[in-house]
Amino acid sequence: MDARRTLTGGALTVLGGALVVTLTGIVLHRDGAEAAALSATVKGTAATSRGVLPHAFLKLATYPDSMAGAHGPGGGVHPDWVTYGPTSALKVPAHSLVTITIDQYDGGETITNPYFATVRGTVGGTMTVDGKTLTKTSPDAVGHTFTIHAAPSNQDPLFVSVPLPAVAEDAPVAPNSDYPAPHVVTFSFITGGPGEYVWNCEYPCGDGYYAKFGGAMSSRGYMSGTFTVS
Amino acid sequence: MSSAELASRSGCKRTEVMHDDCRTGKGDTMSEAMVKHGALPTAEGGGGSMRHLNALTAVAGGVALAALGWLISHHFMQTDDPETSDQVVLITLGCWAVGFMAGIGAFAGPFRWLLGNDLTHADEMHLAGKDQGVGRYFRFTTDHKVVGVQYLIVTMVLLAVGGTLAMLMRTNLIVPHSNFLGPQTYNSLVGLHGIIMVIATIIMVTGPFGNFILPIMIGARDMAFPRLNALSLWLLVAAVPVLLSAGFMGGIPTGWSAYAPLADQATPGMDGYLMAIVIFAISSAVAGANITTTVLTMRARGMTWTRTPIFVYGVVASVGLALPALPMFMAAQVELAVDRTMEGQFFIASGGGSPWLYQNLFWLFGHPEVYVIVIPAVVALMELTPVFARKPLYNFNAAVLGIVGIVGLSIMVWAHHMYASGWAPDLNGPFMLTTEMISVPTGVLFLVVIGTIWRGRIWTTVAMMSVYAMLWNFIIGGVTGIYLSDVPADYALHGSMFVTAHFHYTLMGAGLTGAIGALYYWFPKMTGRMLSERVGFVSFWLVQIGFNVTFLGMFAVGLAGQPRRVFTYPHMFATGNFISTIGAYFIGIGMLITLYNVISSWRSGLVAPANPWGGKTLEWAVPNPIPLANFEVLPVVISDAYGYGEGDPQPPHWRADPHSPATPELVPAGAGTTISDTEGSPQ
Repeated sequence: MDARRTLTGGALTVLGGALVVTLTGIVLHRDGAEAAALSATVKGTAATSRGVLPHAFLKLATYPDSMAGAHGPGGGVHPDWVTYGPTSALKVPAHSLVTITIDQYDGGETITNPYFATVRGTVGGTMTVDGKTLTKTSPDAVGHTFTIHAAPSNQDPLFVSVPLPAVAEDAPVAPNSDYPAPHVVTFSFITGGPGEYVWNCEYPCGDGYYAKFGGAMSSRGYMSGTFTVS
Repeated sequence: MSSAELASRSGCKRTEVMHDDCRTGKGDTMSEAMVKHGALPTAEGGGGSMRHLNALTAVAGGVALAALGWLISHHFMQTDDPETSDQVVLITLGCWAVGFMAGIGAFAGPFRWLLGNDLTHADEMHLAGKDQGVGRYFRFTTDHKVVGVQYLIVTMVLLAVGGTLAMLMRTNLIVPHSNFLGPQTYNSLVGLHGIIMVIATIIMVTGPFGNFILPIMIGARDMAFPRLNALSLWLLVAAVPVLLSAGFMGGIPTGWSAYAPLADQATPGMDGYLMAIVIFAISSAVAGANITTTVLTMRARGMTWTRTPIFVYGVVASVGLALPALPMFMAAQVELAVDRTMEGQFFIASGGGSPWLYQNLFWLFGHPEVYVIVIPAVVALMELTPVFARKPLYNFNAAVLGIVGIVGLSIMVWAHHMYASGWAPDLNGPFMLTTEMISVPTGVLFLVVIGTIWRGRIWTTVAMMSVYAMLWNFIIGGVTGIYLSDVPADYALHGSMFVTAHFHYTLMGAGLTGAIGALYYWFPKMTGRMLSERVGFVSFWLVQIGFNVTFLGMFAVGLAGQPRRVFTYPHMFATGNFISTIGAYFIGIGMLITLYNVISSWRSGLVAPANPWGGKTLEWAVPNPIPLANFEVLPVVISDAYGYGEGDPQPPHWRADPHSPATPELVPAGAGTTISDTEGSPQ
């Protein structure tokens, strides 16, 4: 085997392999990359137990299907899956008071783990549901939860969990809407330093005949996502 | 007419009739002459309808039956329910496998037997691939040499796919939060990469070399059950698209271990996984029974157990270990299928089942599987070390005992993977003990290799370099394995990148390195061409340096706390991950150069002499190309195959003297003259 032929052949093989990897990566990137993040809007400041901090706001919703989320026309690949909206990638400022409002359109049943029926990690350990301040909701009527977790690392810990009460099964569809009138849930918490966190729903609302932790519950972009503090 | 009579009639010395180069004087080889005289049947007229069956008809059959299965099952089942959609997927994939096997002709023999029209000699010769050229590699061919090459190709394809996924995973991890792949995609790639590589590494030695080399090494004409041999290969081929289909049905979000109840809830991709495992387990069982029977019943006369090459022991140990282990895995997947499709409760605690049941079944396969992979790779290197050190294998009996010890202990260590699961904490201590004990027979194998190298006259080839690399890598993999076998340490390291690095050091650092060494050693016999040593050294160093950079970096981030199977990580792990990714690119480049070396050498490499390394085992005593029946006169073995050393001139480099004589101490059956008494084989 002469040297020139060996060098050329070897180089072409390496380039061919790199091309295959690159093309596969591009296809997978387009199919599976995380959605664009929704950034919280900062509006002024607020007095908190940690002093005066910037006050940031996020508006989310939970739907009984994927028609209203960010899954494309017709609900995407799984139009019948429950989903959060408008996106599952969230971004908030560091060292701030963050207030999140969630319009909860979906029904629910008994939560598997009643621990998540109690409000945890918010300012005062409370939330407001349709204007009423609560510290927990009935474990037998939970629609979803919004729960932020921190992976073990050297970033500031952050754990927030809020139960979203279920909309009654027989609730009528609201005017000019595909869904019943939602429960409006609002809560606030204080962020530490920058970090990458994840959030998810702890109510088993997904697919699979067992425990309903499949489908939307085991696929990112529906009932789970990223929570970036920056 | 006997071959001896034929040899006498054709003027050949009886000691030469092993070689096709001994001509009858009319330009015929011995095989051709035997065919002319009716001693061997021809393939002419044989095969019947099997003549029309090949890989294309197999795919057509698979697609047709899968489409039919889908249409029928889809018609009769309400697919809105996840359970029934799983049923449809499983029925479709099962139909694919049956249709594929029918299309390749796997059922032709049994079908004709049932009809009372069993295969004739001519049919068998057709099945053996006689006079079919390259086409025999795309058919249900029973010749063990063809099956060995087919296994080699399948292994390379699987390694290429698994390697591509590895490059993508490492690219995603090159910086924190790269968002190159979404988490769902990354999870799926982890699962697919893992199971593809596990299957590839299980077959990478016992498949190509266990099928091609082993029967010749023991002096047999073929495997004990040639049709089962082809069956095992094509079942494996049928399983590959089934496994890859998982990627298009939601992937394998559970990692390769497919733990329940995660797997109970996963998307239909899980059905592709479990169906592939079931098919692969059947394939492995068939192959294992075949190889074991071949070795037990078809060794050459005089090949006592103390004269049986160590490679044979290793392959038998591997497939013998897989025989009980893989059915555990298959049983777990069958139960998982029942859970997913029929509301079974095998692994669902709320229904009276137990996720621990899955873990036990899985690891009853999963840990022996490590030795199923590593033993044949290590013994392949033990086989070639005496050749390149020109010394007998150091302490053959200890090597055999080491293998036996590993096999015996390996079925008593599975629960060390479950320390942190909460299952039977009282057994953690005993399992820690058995796991740590297995380092003793493993150490014995190290000593055998080192003892063989010690003061040897080393011929530094890529194959021999692989021995050094295996020693280095396997020591790191083994020592870190002892850490993980320790209960308190495992509680800290469980589920971290440390574990990932550890098992890559064993499965890739020892296993794949051993397979590559075996490839460089036996490639001349399998293809009649030499692999380029120069290109081989370039790829060797790229792979080995890249490998150590990749996985030493992974040890570091694992010790620091980075969990495995996570698509992103905090900034504190950034440096280690960046280094690991760069190392992985080196591995990728090195493996691509190995691929180039194989392809280019196979096409146009230097023509290999029959015995380029001066090896003494029987495979080096047959000519290139190897006759269909391997030996025209079966050998009788009168000593072991490791008589290197005194009076044995160091084999010259193959370029300088490509006609290095083969000198096995054996005689044709019934004769008293040893071939080593002749003037050398006419290669």
